[in-house]
Amino acid sequence: MNNSILTVETITKLFYPAVSFGDIIKHKQKSAVTALKDVSFSLEPGKITGLLGANGAGKTTLLKTISTLILPDVGRIKIKNYSAGTHDREIKSLLGLASNEERSFYWRLTGKQNLEFFSTLYGLDKQRTKKRIDELFSMFKINYQDKRFDTYSAGMKRKFALIRALLHNPEILLLDEPMKSLDYQSVQSLKQHIKELSNTGKTILLATHNIPEAETLCDIFIILDNGQIQECGTLSQLREKTNLQDASLSDIYQKVTKNV
Amino acid sequence: MFRKIFALLKKDLLIETSYKLSFILNIFGVFVFLLVYFFIDKMFNSEITEHLKEFGVNYFSYVLLSMAFFSYIGVGIGSFTERIRDEQTMGTLESLLLTPTRIGIILASMALWNLIFATFNACIYICLGAFLFHIDFTNANLLSAGVILLLTIICFSSLGILSASFIIVFKRGNPVAWIINNLEGLLGGVFFPITVMPPFLQMLAKLLPITYAIRAMELAVYQNYSLAQLSNEWGALLIFSIILIPLSFGSFQYALKKARKQGSLIQY
Repeated sequence: MNNSILTVETITKLFYPAVSFGDIIKHKQKSAVTALKDVSFSLEPGKITGLLGANGAGKTTLLKTISTLILPDVGRIKIKNYSAGTHDREIKSLLGLASNEERSFYWRLTGKQNLEFFSTLYGLDKQRTKKRIDELFSMFKINYQDKRFDTYSAGMKRKFALIRALLHNPEILLLDEPMKSLDYQSVQSLKQHIKELSNTGKTILLATHNIPEAETLCDIFIILDNGQIQECGTLSQLREKTNLQDASLSDIYQKVTKNV
Repeated sequence: MFRKIFALLKKDLLIETSYKLSFILNIFGVFVFLLVYFFIDKMFNSEITEHLKEFGVNYFSYVLLSMAFFSYIGVGIGSFTERIRDEQTMGTLESLLLTPTRIGIILASMALWNLIFATFNACIYICLGAFLFHIDFTNANLLSAGVILLLTIICFSSLGILSASFIIVFKRGNPVAWIINNLEGLLGGVFFPITVMPPFLQMLAKLLPITYAIRAMELAVYQNYSLAQLSNEWGALLIFSIILIPLSFGSFQYALKKARKQGSLIQY
C-alpha cells in the first residue's frame, strides 16, 4: 500500500435519475441509484490493473471520478501527494484518460489539429507538441494523410484517444474499454502498445468487460459488480481466494459475480 | 495562459471556417434584413418622427445602428450558451475539462471569440450602411462609443455566462436566454425608441441593461454625445456589470460542480 501511486478510499457515488419537464431536466432526489459503493483500492506503479465488470457495473463512473470529472459523494482519491477536489489541476497533469466515447474530439478538425489543440491545453509548447506527436505517431505506427477526424475508422479514433491521453506523458493512464468495437488485428496491436507503455513505467488502469483479453494483458485485477469491489489481486491470489486452483480469470469472474 | 487562449480561439476559427456556406449566408442575411427596414422607412418617407428627434436620424439609420450594436449583445449572450451546448453535444466538454486548464481561460477565450465574431457582424452592418445606404457616421463620438461598447460587452458577456450556467444544469431550459430573446427586443429599444411604449413598459425597460446600451450608442454615434452627457447610461451599465460579473462566474462554477456531482457534463 505504501508503494502506491494512486489511492482510492471508500468512494461512494449515487446518481439521481433524470426526468425532463419539457425543456428542463431535473434529477429525482428520492430514487437514487448507487453507482459506486465503498470502493477502495490502490495502484502499484508500472503495473497494468484490470478493472473488470459488466456493463453498468460502475467502471466508467470510477474512471471519471478518479479523473475529477465526477465528484464522489463520499470518500477521497489521492494521486501521489495530491488530493482530488483540492489539487485537481495537478491531478489532471498526472493522469491521462482515454475514454471510449467517440464523441470526445472535434470532428470538423483533422486528427493532427485536434492533437495540437489538446497538447497546448496540456501545457506543451509548439516544439514539444510536434516532437511528442511524432514520437507517438511512430510508436503507434501511424502513417497517414491528415484528414478530418470524422473520416477515421473506429480503430484509428481509438488510437487517437490513446495518443491524446499520452500527449503530456502522464504517469497514470486510465483506459476505458480500449478494445471496444475493434477488429482482431487492431485489438492485438493495441494490446501490444499497452504492454509497451507499461514497460516504459506507466501505471495503467484498464476498464473492460472482456475478461479473456484482460487476463492476457493485466497484472492485477479488480472485479467490480453493482458498484462494489468483489475481489482484487493477481490471478494466483484470486485463485487462492476463490478456491479455484488452475481456473481461468473468466471462471473466477463468474464465480465472484455469480453471473453463471 | 495566452497560448491556451490562442489555441482555443484557433480551434473555434478552424471549426467556423469549415462551414463555408454559413459565412456567406450570414452576410446575405444581414443585407436582406436591412432591406426590409430600408423599405419600411421609405414607406414613411424617411421622416424623423417625434420619437426619433432626440437621435436626429430617420428610422432606418436608427435600426441599422441598433442592430449592428445588438450583434455584441446577441452574440455575447447567445454564443456562450450555444458554445457550451455545442461542447456538450460534441462530447468535447469533458475532454476540455480533463486538461489542466482554468475555467476562467476557457470562458475568456469564448468571450474573445464572441467579441471577434460580433465585431465582424457589426462591421457588415456599418459597411453596408455607410457604403450602400449612405448613412453618415462621421459625427460619432468615438470615445463615448468605445466606452459604451466596452461596458456593454462586459455586461452582456456576464449575462451570457449566467445563461450558459443554466444550460450546463438544465440542458435546454434557459430563463436568461428566454428573457433576452423575448423581452429585450421588445423593451430594449432595438427596433424602436422606448418612448413609443406606454409609461409602465418604459419603466420595465429601464430594468434591462440593453435599454441603456442602445440609447447611449445611438446618441454617441449620431449626436456626438460626450461621456459626461451619457453619465446616466454608462453609470447604469457599470452597475449592471459590477453585479453581473461575480454573479455569472459564481453561477458557472456552481453549475459545473453540480454537473460533476450529477455526472452529466456531456448529457444534453
